Order: sequence, then C-alpha cells, then structure tokens
Amino acid sequence: MLMCRDLARIASDYIDDELGTAQKLSVKMHLMMCRHCRSFIGNLRASTDLVQAHSSGKPDPELVRRIDEQVAQALDAKKTDDFT
Amino acid sequence: METATHQSEEDILIQGLKSGNEADFQKAVRLYTPGMMAVGRYYLDNASAEETVQDCWVSVIDAIQNFEGRSGLKTWLHRIVANRAKNHLRKNKREVSADFSEALEPELANRFHPNGRWATPPSLRFDEDAESLMENGALSDCLDQHLTRLPETQRSALMLYEAHQHKSDDVCNILDVSASNLRVLLHRARQKIFLMVETFQETGEC
Ligand SMILES: [Zn+2]
Repeated sequence: MLMCRDLARIASDYIDDELGTAQKLSVKMHLMMCRHCRSFIGNLRASTDLVQAHSSGKPDPELVRRIDEQVAQALDAKKTDDFT
Repeated sequence: METATHQSEEDILIQGLKSGNEADFQKAVRLYTPGMMAVGRYYLDNASAEETVQDCWVSVIDAIQNFEGRSGLKTWLHRIVANRAKNHLRKNKREVSADFSEALEPELANRFHPNGRWATPPSLRFDEDAESLMENGALSDCLDQHLTRLPETQRSALMLYEAHQHKSDDVCNILDVSASNLRVLLHRARQKIFLMVETFQETGEC
C-alpha cells in the first residue's frame, strides 16, 4: 500500500500528470482517505503557482545596458559593412 | 485566439530582428534575457553566464537570418545559450554536479513516522490565490531569497519549467538532463519553496 512518505516522493509527478495509470490510481485512493496528503498536494501546487506568479522575470538592468550597447555597436558595424 | 495574437506578435518581432532594427533588439533583450540567464546559470557561474548571454545576443544579429521558426524564438535562444555554455564548460574542463539520488528533501523526509505516515503534517493554508499572495512584499522578498539560495541546477530547472513554461522535453534538451533527473530537480526545488512558504506563514519570518 502507498504510504504518505511514498506519496510525498512522487507528488510532483502526480501534479504534472507524469504518473502511469496504476500509480495515479493508488495516489487518488490514498488522497481520498488522507487529508494530510491532500493538503500536501495542495500546498505543493500552490507553491508552484507562487513561483509562476513571481517568475523573477526582471533582468539585471546593468546587464541589459551592456547588451544594448554591444548590440547597437554590432548593428552599426554591420550597416557600415553593407555599404562598403 | 490568445495564441494567435501571441504568435503574430512574435513574428513581427522576428521580422524586426531580421531587418536589424535596434528597438526590436532592445525589446527582445528585455523579454528573453531572464530565461537565457537561467539557462546560462545552470552551467556557469554568474559572470561567465552574463558574458555568454551577451555574446549570444551579438551572434543573434547574424544567426536570426537562418531562424525558420520551427521552434519558438525563446526555445531557439535558450538552445544557443546552452550550446555556448556547454562549450565554455568543455574548455574549462568543468562539469555540472547535482544530486539526483533522493526525491525527498531531508527537511521533509524527517517529518514522517517510521511507518511512513505523516508525523508533522503540512500546516500551510492557502486562502488566497498566488497573485494576491505575491502582493505581500515580505513574502515576495522571501521567495526571491530562497530562489537565489537554491542549487543552480534546481533553480534553472524550476525557472525554465515554471516561469518560462517550457515543456519537459525542451528543458531536458536545453539542460542536458534525463527526464527522470529533471523530475528530481523539479520536485526538490518545489519542496524547498513549499517549506519556505510554510515557515513564512507560521512565523511571519523568512
Ligand atoms: Zn497520506
């Protein structure tokens, strides 16, 4: 039988739907009987959503400035090349 | 509908890059650099990753002419960074090291009875959705800190999979890991984030 610890090991696979049919079924059975594991799955899912919402999508401004500069230089060089 | 709009926006950007429009490059740099850094940091230290990402952008000026759009622009850029970073590693004879042997975080593994049942069950309550939780500046800062402290391998896997919404196959390809090892990286990273949010809710501290 699937114990809580076993379920905790494969919880992400369950969330991402990466389990085989038999394993998925035994997780579902366990979840019906165990509120702690239901809460763990819910918590793990919510943590995942949190990372998505947070998504640290802001690049370092200093790095962006350097890249802009280099790209602008390279574009200029290319334009001069094309004319000669 | 949404994908159609998104698609054409990307197409317009690609056209701009192909014609060497500086404003389009600036736009693309802001949009794609965070993901490219996540790829770079998987293989390299921060300084080398930044250098690699910079070089990539310059090389994109020419390389974009051969971009056919079979993969999305994002995946294409991430592959360029991955290839360059791997070359850099080879030159410096380094290897990426990560622990794939255990799926459970030690801190979580401690929370079970010997019979495998929960001894210290999860205590987290999520009454709000993720968006409104993130409006809590302290929690957002705390998440930042913990994401920074994750091992590079776990963080990159998490970022590419969650924040940049890559498919598993793409992440495996970009990071050069097997599917089962990617599962371990993701699961370990998620557990750490869960433990962090739990502590934060219990104590109000990071
Ligand atoms: Zn259980």
